[in-house]
Amino acid sequence: MTVTAIDIQNLTKEYSNGKGCRNVTITVGEGEAFGFLGPNGAGKSTLVKMLVGLIHPTDGEARLFGDPVGSLAARRHIGYLPELYRYQEWLTGQEVIQLHGRLCGMSKQEADARIPMLLERVGLGSRGKDRVKHYSKGMQQRLGLACALVNDPPILFLDEPSSALDPVGRMDVRRLLQELKQEGKTIFLNSHLLEEVETICDRIALLNNGVILRHGQVHEVLYAQTRWHFKVGGFTPDIMPWLTETSGIPLQILQSGHPGTGAVTASDSLQDTVWLGAVIDNEEQVGFINTLIVNQGMTLYQVEPVRERLEEWFMEAVSGLSHRGEHE
Amino acid sequence: MTAVIGMTWKELLRKKVLLMTVLMTVLFLIVFWFIARTIGASEISNSSPSAQLVEQYAHGAALLTLGFFFGSFILAFLMIFSSFSSISGEAETGIMQSMLTRPIPRWQWYLGRWLGYTLFGILYALILYICVIVIADIHASIPRNIAVHTQSYLLFALTVPILVTLSLLGSTSFSAIGNGVFMTMLYGAGWLGGMVEKVTSSMQMDPQVLKTLYNITGLISLIMPVDAIQRKMLALLLGLQELAGMLDMSGSMTAGFGLGQIPSASFIVYAAIYMLLLLAWGIRRFYKRDF
Repeated sequence: MTVTAIDIQNLTKEYSNGKGCRNVTITVGEGEAFGFLGPNGAGKSTLVKMLVGLIHPTDGEARLFGDPVGSLAARRHIGYLPELYRYQEWLTGQEVIQLHGRLCGMSKQEADARIPMLLERVGLGSRGKDRVKHYSKGMQQRLGLACALVNDPPILFLDEPSSALDPVGRMDVRRLLQELKQEGKTIFLNSHLLEEVETICDRIALLNNGVILRHGQVHEVLYAQTRWHFKVGGFTPDIMPWLTETSGIPLQILQSGHPGTGAVTASDSLQDTVWLGAVIDNEEQVGFINTLIVNQGMTLYQVEPVRERLEEWFMEAVSGLSHRGEHE
Repeated sequence: MTAVIGMTWKELLRKKVLLMTVLMTVLFLIVFWFIARTIGASEISNSSPSAQLVEQYAHGAALLTLGFFFGSFILAFLMIFSSFSSISGEAETGIMQSMLTRPIPRWQWYLGRWLGYTLFGILYALILYICVIVIADIHASIPRNIAVHTQSYLLFALTVPILVTLSLLGSTSFSAIGNGVFMTMLYGAGWLGGMVEKVTSSMQMDPQVLKTLYNITGLISLIMPVDAIQRKMLALLLGLQELAGMLDMSGSMTAGFGLGQIPSASFIVYAAIYMLLLLAWGIRRFYKRDF
């Protein structure tokens, strides 16, 4: 049976300006990676801050491995990378990590022993002896990750962990998060980088205006319906009604160019070459459509399943809804 | 809590405010040395031996009054400008957010910061106190009673925890800049109140007007007792209470820095209780605050 790492029951924080979040209920199992999404101002950071003990909830309760959030016992379970990550400019990177270790109850020797490994792991390497004031934003974010990991916590709350990083840095962080997940850490990830969430998280929830709109397994969200794309040469539009009727599957002619990227390749530009698209439940039906196309003397260049991107899911979920973010 | 105290000391040692304070202190001590030398070298009138003694005493008193008048400014500068942004400033920049999620009670964090600033300030006050005393002693006749020096140093250093307490409390409510302004204004008001007392004490004024002025300055002293403590410290160091009625200092070189009303011992007790209450209030505000 999976142990519950994070148990949130009707957690509410109400501000006089109407912001905050209301009645959030989420359970995250030990070793699970949970993605928390939402537009700007949705209340994601407020929720995370309640879970790490920075904000006092107005109502509801939450527990980390059974300990009430904000208690010392609960805080022993966590590592936290804040959205607004800044560290003491007058200290060196090593001293910042050491300070966090000491605050976690580690002796100076214990903290010092972990520092080289942590610096290496987050990609700061030999820069640990430099003062933080000489760090770039990306380096400070990496330092924040090292601080979050200093006490080897079972739960990690990461609020936009790669927002300041370049593409290489983002890849590094993604790799690190995957390693941490494999080590059995519970990860609660707040991120606008949906690809990051898609790659790392097992489950996701979408928050808008302080309430949870949707939640579910990433796999279910992304593979709820599988779309297939067929690249067909020698195609004539007249054959479309026959193909749809015979296969029993509504097929559509997609726009020219690759439907995923929109890029037009040399073969796309061939006359009579099109992309067809259809929602298909099983692969047998795909094989049947392939046979029908080939039997009609057309050329089948490419067949591929197209999974829904989290970005599409996100956009579809929030489209048409008002949200209190920066566009207000 | 030792980690927080250590962090505070590192902060103080590496921030520019300490460098500026040290430079100010050195500059002040150099100037003070020359002033002391000038006063010390001034001729003692050829009057009776007792009058000469009084004059020597007046020289020493002038030097100590002058030294601690500016010394207290330097100390206040260090304490206010090193601690005014310690909570709100760190919350605004985001430093606080990662630290407060660590398994340390908030009261320990607050007290650790308070102790860090206070212990450092007390040490700096000791260095400053010794420097002023040594320079004054080289050039003039000043009291050499260790017990008196211990008591007056303790009073001089008492201003440190009071300023830190007020600054940290302000930092739980105001923004970093707001608290800097608030603390400067508050210290300035305390200093102004003290000046009003000093000036009016040597002037012939309508008793009714004096009473009103003393009520106002008394109220200011209750809120910002630093200047009053400073006067108490000087009175103790110069033995003014023992000499009361025996000497007329109005014409001496201390006149410009006269002490005005000398607070009673009960006022020191009040200041200590006031400080402890504000400390407790600050801890409570810090505990309840969202970051």
